[in-house]
Amino acid sequence: MLYKNYVKMHLKSSMQYRANMTMLSISACLISVGELLAIFLMFENFNSVGYWGFYETALMFGIVTFVYSFTECFARGFDEFASVIKHGSLDRILVRPVSITYQIFGTKIELNKLLRCSLGVAVMIISLIKLNITWTILKVLVLIATLICGCLVIFGVMLIGAGISVFTVENLEFINIFTNGAKEIAFYPINIYNKWLSRVFTFIIPVACFNYLPLSYIMGYGELPQIVYALSPLIGMVFVIPCFIFFSWAIKKYQGTGT
Amino acid sequence: MSSYFGIFKMNFKGELQYRTKAISGVATQVFWGLMYIYLYTAFMGGKIIEGFSLEQMKSYVWLGQGFLVIRFLDLPKNCAKEIESGNVCYKFVRPINLYNQWFAEHIGYKLSAMILRCIPLIIVAFILPPSLRLMLPASFTAFILFIFTILIGAIMSSSISMIIVFLTFKTLSAKGTASICNTVFGILGGMYIPLVFMPQAVQNILNYLPFRFIIDLPARIYIGNISPLDALPFIGISIAWIIVIIGFGKLLLSRAGKSATIQGG
Repeated sequence: MLYKNYVKMHLKSSMQYRANMTMLSISACLISVGELLAIFLMFENFNSVGYWGFYETALMFGIVTFVYSFTECFARGFDEFASVIKHGSLDRILVRPVSITYQIFGTKIELNKLLRCSLGVAVMIISLIKLNITWTILKVLVLIATLICGCLVIFGVMLIGAGISVFTVENLEFINIFTNGAKEIAFYPINIYNKWLSRVFTFIIPVACFNYLPLSYIMGYGELPQIVYALSPLIGMVFVIPCFIFFSWAIKKYQGTGT
Repeated sequence: MSSYFGIFKMNFKGELQYRTKAISGVATQVFWGLMYIYLYTAFMGGKIIEGFSLEQMKSYVWLGQGFLVIRFLDLPKNCAKEIESGNVCYKFVRPINLYNQWFAEHIGYKLSAMILRCIPLIIVAFILPPSLRLMLPASFTAFILFIFTILIGAIMSSSISMIIVFLTFKTLSAKGTASICNTVFGILGGMYIPLVFMPQAVQNILNYLPFRFIIDLPARIYIGNISPLDALPFIGISIAWIIVIIGFGKLLLSRAGKSATIQGG
């Protein structure tokens, strides 16, 4: 399988620069530690926000950290698609007899994100233990769906960014609002923010679908019927479809940059 | 001296060319600012934390966002590329002090970026609805002192960047080194969470370390959390730190020049 070779290639190349790889892994983890510390200190000062306490929020943090670093690890090529356009390497990709999406997945696999990924999983597990949840099969399924939904939503945002960069060539910083901004927002339950902000990140970019909506189901919180909470990750997953359509449309409009 | 000033001017003008990028950047920072304000509003409600009212916290957030370019520790332009590729050896043979050259370049970049980024953002922050807006400085003296300390902050930030340059010589990984330094400074300097939210004992130590002088002190002077008179000893401390850090950086870099392994061929 071609993808296996891609992974092997990236693994080999990052093993050539082992010190660099270690530094990048540590620095990525350190950022997560800083973010978690910030969340801890917020709850240390204020105890709770709504009915959300520290461990509920830490669970969200774990999910978001896992989902982001996992997606960044494997789909980084879409995140940095602007550089592919800028250097004209898309022309090369277009003439190869393998699908474009497949190849872009292969252009960049950032294995240094995996350490951060495991940190997210660790935080997730610790908070799940601390929370004393009475588990049912459906709750486990919802949790798994939440993780998948998170990866797909972030991938969708990356697709939009990649699609836009076909037209702008430069990587525009404001896309950052939807990638990193959405991440930072998702560390806390989205419903604590003001109305328009939480609406944008619920209905336009369904960050809430892997944030407080499914967790409300797992925790048994909230005012809406439980079935809405339980199904929210499935609804969130649909987001990736229009993103993919937009991306494919943008690629069709591509004109070489001439380098 | 004039050659260093020339380098400064060149970088300053170069940076002014990227206007679209700046607009996009300002939009992003407005978003981040609003996000933090809503977050702190949700948590704080009407509470006052260590003399910080919610109003003051909002202004603290805006100043932190506005002066992001100062808080963010990065290497002088092209410096990372030059070290990693080995082209830096041409710099060593020139009859010009490498430290001063990079330092001038970096300060030029920081100040131009400050004008391009901070001023538009601060203007936006002033015209927002009253519940979100950046407040006026606590007093005229506070404002003057704020400008003074923020310039000190820019110098502090650049001098620390020069230490990162030295570390890059050692690790040859500019991205990793800068990222780790940024995170450490971010946590200890109040970038991840305002320093007032930290435990008192930690604050007592951090107040005297260089991290907080980049943006925390200027912002607190601006909002009146620290009165101009109380701020004076801290300004003294920050200047002392700058002298130490620059001296240390020069020493390290001259050492690096002697023992650096040049990459590439």
